[in-house]
Amino acid sequence: MTKEKTVSITIDNKKLHVKPGLTILQAAKANNIYIPSLCAFEHLPSYGACRLCIVEVDGIRGFPTSCTTPVEDGMVIRTETQELRNLRQEVLKLLLSEHPASCLFCSDKEECINFQGTIRKVGNTTGCRYCPNDHRCEIQTIVEKIGLTETSYPVYYRNFPVEKYDPFYDRDYNLCILCGRCIRVCNDIRLNGTLSFKQRGQKTTIGPAFDRTHLEAGCEFCGACVNVCPTGALSVKTGKWYGKQDKEGETTCNFCSIGCKLILQTKNESIVDSLPDYDSPLDKGLICVKGRFSITEYVHSPWRYSTPMEMTPVGYNNITWEKALDIAAEKIKGVKPDEVLMLISTQLLNEDIYCTQKFMRKIIGSEHIIPTPLIYLNNDFATYWNLCTESQPLEVIENTQFIFTVGFDSTYGYSPIGIRIKKAAKAGAYLVTLNDKETNLDLLASASFQVEKKAWYDVIEILIARDGKEKKHTEAQKILKEGAIDLNRLKKSLSKTKDKLIVLGQDILNHPERTRLLDRFEKTITKGGWKIIVANPYTNLKGTLMLGGFPYIMPGDILKTQTGEKVKTIKTQIVNFDLNKKRKLIYIIGDAPDLMIPDCDFLIYQNALPASFKKMPDLILPSNLFPETDGTIINMEDRILMVKKVIEPYMESKPDWWIISAIGERLKKGKFQFKDMQSIHGEIKKLIKGFPKIKDRLEFSRINAAGSKKTARFTPVPEAKRAIYRGIALSEVVSGMKVIERSLNE
Amino acid sequence: MSDTIDLIFEKYERAQDQLIPILQEVQRQYGYVSPEAVKKISRYLKITENQIYGVSSFYAQFRFSAPGRHSIRVCLGTACHVRGGATLLEMLERELDIKCGDTTSDKRFDLDRVACLGCCALSPVVQIDKDIYSRMTVTKLAELLKSYE
Repeated sequence: MTKEKTVSITIDNKKLHVKPGLTILQAAKANNIYIPSLCAFEHLPSYGACRLCIVEVDGIRGFPTSCTTPVEDGMVIRTETQELRNLRQEVLKLLLSEHPASCLFCSDKEECINFQGTIRKVGNTTGCRYCPNDHRCEIQTIVEKIGLTETSYPVYYRNFPVEKYDPFYDRDYNLCILCGRCIRVCNDIRLNGTLSFKQRGQKTTIGPAFDRTHLEAGCEFCGACVNVCPTGALSVKTGKWYGKQDKEGETTCNFCSIGCKLILQTKNESIVDSLPDYDSPLDKGLICVKGRFSITEYVHSPWRYSTPMEMTPVGYNNITWEKALDIAAEKIKGVKPDEVLMLISTQLLNEDIYCTQKFMRKIIGSEHIIPTPLIYLNNDFATYWNLCTESQPLEVIENTQFIFTVGFDSTYGYSPIGIRIKKAAKAGAYLVTLNDKETNLDLLASASFQVEKKAWYDVIEILIARDGKEKKHTEAQKILKEGAIDLNRLKKSLSKTKDKLIVLGQDILNHPERTRLLDRFEKTITKGGWKIIVANPYTNLKGTLMLGGFPYIMPGDILKTQTGEKVKTIKTQIVNFDLNKKRKLIYIIGDAPDLMIPDCDFLIYQNALPASFKKMPDLILPSNLFPETDGTIINMEDRILMVKKVIEPYMESKPDWWIISAIGERLKKGKFQFKDMQSIHGEIKKLIKGFPKIKDRLEFSRINAAGSKKTARFTPVPEAKRAIYRGIALSEVVSGMKVIERSLNE
Repeated sequence: MSDTIDLIFEKYERAQDQLIPILQEVQRQYGYVSPEAVKKISRYLKITENQIYGVSSFYAQFRFSAPGRHSIRVCLGTACHVRGGATLLEMLERELDIKCGDTTSDKRFDLDRVACLGCCALSPVVQIDKDIYSRMTVTKLAELLKSYE
């Protein structure tokens, strides 16, 4: 191993060896030397706006800002001298001349904090609280560190109205210190460009163009600006006024198949904020509105089931778990295998799926365990699955020279893919977008096709088939001409590049010609030359099949590494379930639309929130949501990701595996003695080697659906239009998502 | 409009550093930078509309609403300020019911401030179109406005 190159510097008489290329501030931070700063942020380029991080360096005139000065060999740096202290205090005073300071300098400060928590009969504000970020504020820390106890300048209150009209976060620019962090994170990290300094001098504010709302201006509500704000200017609607969080925990987002890492902050067992981790290699902290802002409202929804419920002639009755499990066991006892239908969401955890399939196969002896996408996609399921197994890891995007997005939009989801595409386009990759509406990638695209869905196939054909076939597709030719697209450049770029990538968005699932398009892509990928990334909304699709949550596929059977099978053949009859046949028992985990629920004698519904179907379930079993339970999922990159429990479950709700196992244990004693995750993993390990500690990407077999395709019926997929978790649309539960959905439909 | 703005684009390279020259040309030709123009420029230069607005609102030379039939400029240079220029501006804002930098809804006047018109001896000074009015008072100004249609 070669020794890493270092430069030696001296900070405050301490000799240090640091990596070259660091700034003084970074070098100091790495060695636990505190230099106050407000505008610097770890993952943003240097800026040098707040002037608080000034230091003295031998041989450099004046007081350079440490966040913009790179270290050099032999540098002698002082961070704490009387002169620096005086200067910093003066700078901070000027900074605070436009920032309300009652929480900073007040003779009654201590008492105020003690009495703010007074219990009254009615809501009462004690002390002055006009900052929602109290006790989480970086300015409070800095004032303390710099030792400022009073300010000699009068505070100028700018008197801006607080902006509350956008979903998810409020803005009070009276508290803003114009450090520019929010603008830089919006432009440099999210590559979104919604925020900008407006006007100048004393009138400077931050926001989008022409007094537009953030929603109108193309804000993605990723909340990155809110994370980095050092003051209370930007605050999350659902996390305001909470003060400091008391716990935080990491978990994996379950809202789509990327599986971003989330840091959930909690106070009194409630989730108050959900933050990204910029060091996470998978998502790089580029989480979307779903993971950032939807969790609090979804998990703490007032509509959540608190106890099991039984339908009686006079309505639903709350019952105990004992009774609920007894009723379920009694109803299931003795039913014949083909009289049962188990409909499951693909957003359950691996362990839940394992227990569910074991229950179906070992207790009832039935193969009728059906993930809902199988019914929606019908015969296209196999094609879609095959494309998903070919899906590349996200880092491929950054090394690709030609990217073709089809029906993909990353405004309100799939940001880690979208931002990587934007980055590649900025670095010079040729980006072609195809959609029937404007998308957030169009601005940076070299060619963007906004065409009706019926013309998609032609455009795809021209791009993928590359040459010769253009004459046939006159419609597409017209579009190319109208769009003022430089066809020669496009063709040249196509023939020149070897690494070509298709990014398939969720809109393809609702395309009337879905079968034809998916087949075309499958053919292209098999032929070679193109790679693919499928942005699929089914969080744990891979895990569902791997753990046997699919008819006639046993746990581990779909793993190529385990069976050696490249292609697994399933019969189409299996896929074409008779949805009109009357059943004795239907068990739904998640949600299903009415058209999938045939007549039945008894309906069990296991989910956290009320269902969207009209039929009244006979028994309701309340289950946990992902921040309340441990487990694993397999994401679109084919990696096993850990989901960890962050808060205690709501009321009496239980994990899905626990519910299913408890019913199973009543029917066949000794078969379902699962106490915790480890015991389930122990059993899965016997079928899938190394589970769940497999670090490498898994490899899956393709599916060959034998039989004719002519019978395929087209069912629109709800996941293509709205974000859905366990069958329930986020917009039904989360108020801000409803606002966004309304704006999309306008 | 879209045709003429395309003509402007032809003169400038498709590079982000051409933003200000393009904005200046737009301002010269249309008298203001409209939201539609910003949208067009955004597509051409691949910069978001918000960023373009951020840059252009920094400079006093760009305006974002169509100019009125007559433009009123109130001088707020040192001399005019001392002799009551700010009061004149305040009165105009009240009378015309617009903010400094805007245009009245009937497009009769647009109102703006300038730093100095170079005739401090005549302060406070108001310029309407090309005429300079010296030693203005609130009452004189109110009378004067009536003569402009």
